[in-house]
Amino acid sequence: MSRNTQRLVRDGVLAAFWLWFAARLLNDWFGGVLVPQGQPFFDPEPVAAAATAVREAATGLGVVGTPVGWVASALDSASFAMTYLPDLAAGAWLTVVLTTLGILFGLVLAVPLAAARVYGRVTHWVALAFIELIRGTPLLAQLFVLYFALPLAGWIGAVPFVGSGVVPPQAVWVAVLGFTINSAAYQAEYIRGSIEGVDTGQLTAARAVGLSQLDGIRYVVLPQALRIAIPSWTNELVYLVKYSSLASFITVTELFYAVEEAAYSNYRFLDLFLLAAVVYVLLVVSATTTMEWVRRRVAIPGVGGSAGGRGPA
Amino acid sequence: MTDPLLDVDDVHQSYGEETVLEGISFEMERQDVKVLVGPSGSGKSTMLRCINRLTDIDDGDISLDGDSIYDLDVNDLRRQVGMVFQDFNLFAHLTALENVTLGLKRVLDYGEREAVEKAAWQLEAVGLREQADSYPAELSGGQKQRVGIARALAMDPKLMLFDEPTSALDPELIGEVLEVMRELADEGMTMLVVTHEMGFAKQAATDVLFLDDGKLVEQGPPEQLFENPEHDRTAAFLSRLTKLHGGQ
Amino acid sequence: MDPTQLLLQTGVGDWEFVWRQRQFFVDGTWLAVKLTFFSMLLGFVVGLPAGVVEAYGGRYSKGVVRPLGVVVRGTPILVIISLTYFAFGVSPAFVAATLALGVRSAAYQSQIFRGAIESVESGQMEAARAVGLSKLDAIRHVVLPQALRRSVPGFQNEFTIVLKDTSIAYAIGVAELLKRSYDLFSIQTTAALEVFLAASLIYFVLTFTVNRGIEQLHDRVAIPGGNQ
Repeated sequence: MSRNTQRLVRDGVLAAFWLWFAARLLNDWFGGVLVPQGQPFFDPEPVAAAATAVREAATGLGVVGTPVGWVASALDSASFAMTYLPDLAAGAWLTVVLTTLGILFGLVLAVPLAAARVYGRVTHWVALAFIELIRGTPLLAQLFVLYFALPLAGWIGAVPFVGSGVVPPQAVWVAVLGFTINSAAYQAEYIRGSIEGVDTGQLTAARAVGLSQLDGIRYVVLPQALRIAIPSWTNELVYLVKYSSLASFITVTELFYAVEEAAYSNYRFLDLFLLAAVVYVLLVVSATTTMEWVRRRVAIPGVGGSAGGRGPA
Repeated sequence: MTDPLLDVDDVHQSYGEETVLEGISFEMERQDVKVLVGPSGSGKSTMLRCINRLTDIDDGDISLDGDSIYDLDVNDLRRQVGMVFQDFNLFAHLTALENVTLGLKRVLDYGEREAVEKAAWQLEAVGLREQADSYPAELSGGQKQRVGIARALAMDPKLMLFDEPTSALDPELIGEVLEVMRELADEGMTMLVVTHEMGFAKQAATDVLFLDDGKLVEQGPPEQLFENPEHDRTAAFLSRLTKLHGGQ
Repeated sequence: MDPTQLLLQTGVGDWEFVWRQRQFFVDGTWLAVKLTFFSMLLGFVVGLPAGVVEAYGGRYSKGVVRPLGVVVRGTPILVIISLTYFAFGVSPAFVAATLALGVRSAAYQSQIFRGAIESVESGQMEAARAVGLSKLDAIRHVVLPQALRRSVPGFQNEFTIVLKDTSIAYAIGVAELLKRSYDLFSIQTTAALEVFLAASLIYFVLTFTVNRGIEQLHDRVAIPGGNQ
C-alpha cells in the first residue's frame, strides 16, 4: 500500500470513528434521539446469526473449514463488539475529558514552573525539587496519595452539584488534579528544553534592535520555542490518553473501567480488552495525526526541533 | 563646540580574572568611518558590545551625543545604535521583510502599512527586493547579512556597529556585503567596523584603530597606519593581515 | 475531616507502623526491581532487531514491524497487562507482567535504537561498504557500536518508565511495591499518607540512583569527540 493510500485509509477510519463517537454521545445525552439510549445503532443480531451460520458451515467442512472457522470467530467478535460499544462510549468520553483537562491545566501550571526553573533563584530549587519528585515517582502512586491519603475526595464531594447531573463525581476531579500535577512536571521540562533550543543569538539580536527583554521573549524566542516543543507535547498528549486508564484504580468510570466491568460480567476478556485496545489506538492515532497537521501548518523552514518527550512516540 | 557623536573615555572591562579592555579612549564625529583591527582576543568585539550595553563596562564612560549611555534608557540607546552581527542572528521564524518590520512596529510603534513600506524600501536599498518574503533558512550568507544590515538601518540609527560582518561568509559572497557597507559610508553614516578586510579599510575608513591585548596601541588615517605606523607591532600585524586579506 | 485533624493524624504512630513493616516493603521493592530487569531485558532482545529492521528493512519487513509498533505503543500498559493475564491466560502473574512490560518496552526500545542508528551518519555505512564489508557486517561492526553508545540517554529514560510502570502490575495481583503499600493501607487506613509516601520515596531513590549510575556509564563509554 503506497504512502498516500495509507494516509487515506487512516484518515477514513479516524473520521468514521469520530462520527460514530459523536453520534453515540449526542444520542445518549439527549435521551435517545436516533435510537433508544444504550441501544446499538446497527443491530448486532444479523451479524451474530451470520456468525453461527458460518461456524456450522465450517464444522461441516472438516479440516479445510479452519479458515472459515476464523471468519466465524471474527463475525462473532464483531457482533459482540457492536453490542457493547454503547457502554464503552460513555467511558471513552471520560477518557477524552480526563486527557484534555489534564494536559491543558498541566500546561497552565507548567509555564510558571518552567519560568521559575530557568529564571528563579530560590524558586528555582523549589521548582526543581517538585519536577524531579513528580517525574521520579509512579503516576499511580501519586493518584493513591491524592485519593486515599489526602481528604481531597471528601472535600470535593462536599461541594454542591458534584456528582449530580452533568458534573462529574469527586473521583474524576481528584484524577484531573493528579494528571495536572504530573503533566505539569513533564511539560515544564519540555518548555525549558525548547526555550534552550532557541539560539541565544536570537534574543541578543532582538535586544540589539531595541526590544525589551519581555518583548524579545514574546516575539522572537517563544514563537520558535513553541514550534520546537511540538514533538514533545505530542508525546505528552499520547501519554495522557493511555495513562488516563489508571484513573480506573480510583473508581473513575473511564474506558478501562467500563471494559473491566463488562469483562467481569461476561468473561469475554479477549474480545473486550482487544476492543479497548482498538479504541485507545484510535484515540492515540487521532492525537498524533492532529498534531502532525498542526506541525505542518505552523512549520517554518529552518525552525524546528528534534523529538523529545517521555520516550519516542 | 558640539559633542562628538561617540566618546569612549578610558574604558576598562574584565571577564572574570581576565582584563579584556584596558583604558580605551577614542572619539567619533558624525560621518566618521572607523575600523577596529587587532589579533583575535584583543577585545575588538567586546568594545562594540560595550557601546550598546550588550556587555557592561567596569570603569570609564561611553557617551552618545553627550549623554552617558548609562543615563539613557537601554532600549532607547539601542534604537539609536544599530548592530550587525558576525553570525547574522536573523530572526529565524520571520521572513526578511518581517525581520525588518519587527523593530519598526514594536520599538518605534509604526503602523502595519508604514512598517511594510519602510522595510520594503530598506530591503531594496540593500538589493534584496525579491527576497522580502523568504525565510532566513532560504537565503545565502551574503543575503542574510544584507537583511541584517537592513534591519539595523531601518531603525534610523545615529551610529552603526559592525562586528566582523563578513567573517562567516564564503569568499564569493563577501563582496556584495562590503559594497553595501561602502555605499553606506559614502552616504554619510557614522560607522564603527571590526573587520579583517583591509581593502575596505583603505577605501572607506577615516581612521584605523589598532587594538592589541586590550589596549589601543595606535590610531590614525589608513595611509598613516599602513605606510608609516608609529609602532612595530602595528606594522607587523597589518602586513600579515594585508597578505591574508588582500587590498581590494 | 478538617485540616487540623489530618495533621494530628500524621503522628509518629503511623511512621512506626511503616518502619515495623519494612521487610514487607523490601520484598515489594525487590520484586519491582526483578520485574524491571527482566522486562527491560526482554525489551532489548526484541527491540534491538526491531529497531534495526525499522532502520534498514525492506518494504515488507518494515510493513510488519512498523504497524505492530504503532499498535503496541498506542495501547495502555494496563490493557496490555490485562490482555496477557486475563485474555491469554499467561500464568503466574509475575510472568504475565514481565511479558507485558517487556513487549511494551520492546516497542519503545525499537524507536530508541532506530533513532540512534539514523543519527549515525550515512557516510559511516558508505565507508564500511567501500572497504568491502557486507551490509550485515557493516551494521554489526560500524553502525551499531556507535548507535548503542548514542542510545544511552534514551535507555536511561526508558528504565525510569519501566520501573514506574511496574506499579501497574498491581492490576493482576503481583505483590510489587505499590500493591504492598495498598495492602498495608487497608490494614491501617490512618497510615495512608505514610505508606504511600514511603513507597514513593523508594521509587524515587531507585530512579535517582540508577539515572546517576547510567550517566556515569555514559561518560565512560562516550566516543571521544562527542556523540552528536
